[in-house]
Amino acid sequence: MALRNTLLRHLRVPVTGFNQSQIGFLGSICAFSSHDDHLSKQDVVDRVLDVIKSFPKVDPAKVTPEVHFQKDLGLDSLDTVEIVMAIEEEFKLEIPDKEADKIDSCPLAIEYVFNHPMSS
Amino acid sequence: MSGVSTAAYFARRAAQKERVRILYRRALKDTLNWAVHRHIFYRDASDLREKFNANQDVEDVDRIDKLIAHGEAEYDKWRHPDPYIVPWAPGGSKFCRNPTPPAGIEIVYNYGQEDNP
Repeated sequence: MALRNTLLRHLRVPVTGFNQSQIGFLGSICAFSSHDDHLSKQDVVDRVLDVIKSFPKVDPAKVTPEVHFQKDLGLDSLDTVEIVMAIEEEFKLEIPDKEADKIDSCPLAIEYVFNHPMSS
Repeated sequence: MSGVSTAAYFARRAAQKERVRILYRRALKDTLNWAVHRHIFYRDASDLREKFNANQDVEDVDRIDKLIAHGEAEYDKWRHPDPYIVPWAPGGSKFCRNPTPPAGIEIVYNYGQEDNP
């Protein structure tokens, strides 16, 4: 038993630190774990802004992460409903009707999507 | 009486606006259920939007109530029998499929081999 342990201690390879600089050409590491697939905040912001910019009634130059749909972009309440549906389709979410009614502006939408556990 | 805008009037109008928004949302989802191909869906969605826009300037509260009731009856008539629901949502196929185990349960990783670790 003790012999086995000493043998293993002798044979075990010490783990060296893994520097980011060593894989510089690869970009980001793609670790295939299923537990860290939650979106990053920047990702969510980029995708939500893309959805809003591709809406035909919206002027893409005015879209920032802080816009209010009705006050800043001059949209209708029905247009807000359409934008929320487009965000639902983009992130494969199902938002209950009462919650969807409250999403009125861009920061609210980003917060909701980011905090939802099932957004992908 | 019709010229006085009290808080009750505004509350009633706000409730009506919320009903209209929820009705539009459900009707749009239903349109997507029926018209799966996008070019057909866009055409049907703009028709739906025209129907809603045609009545947007009505001021009489009772008439608005009647229009909303009529709209909800239309929605009930046209509901899809097999709507698309996101899998993990209630009604979807993955709902409650793998619930989180109760607290205190853990996995024993060396079962049967506790004698020789």
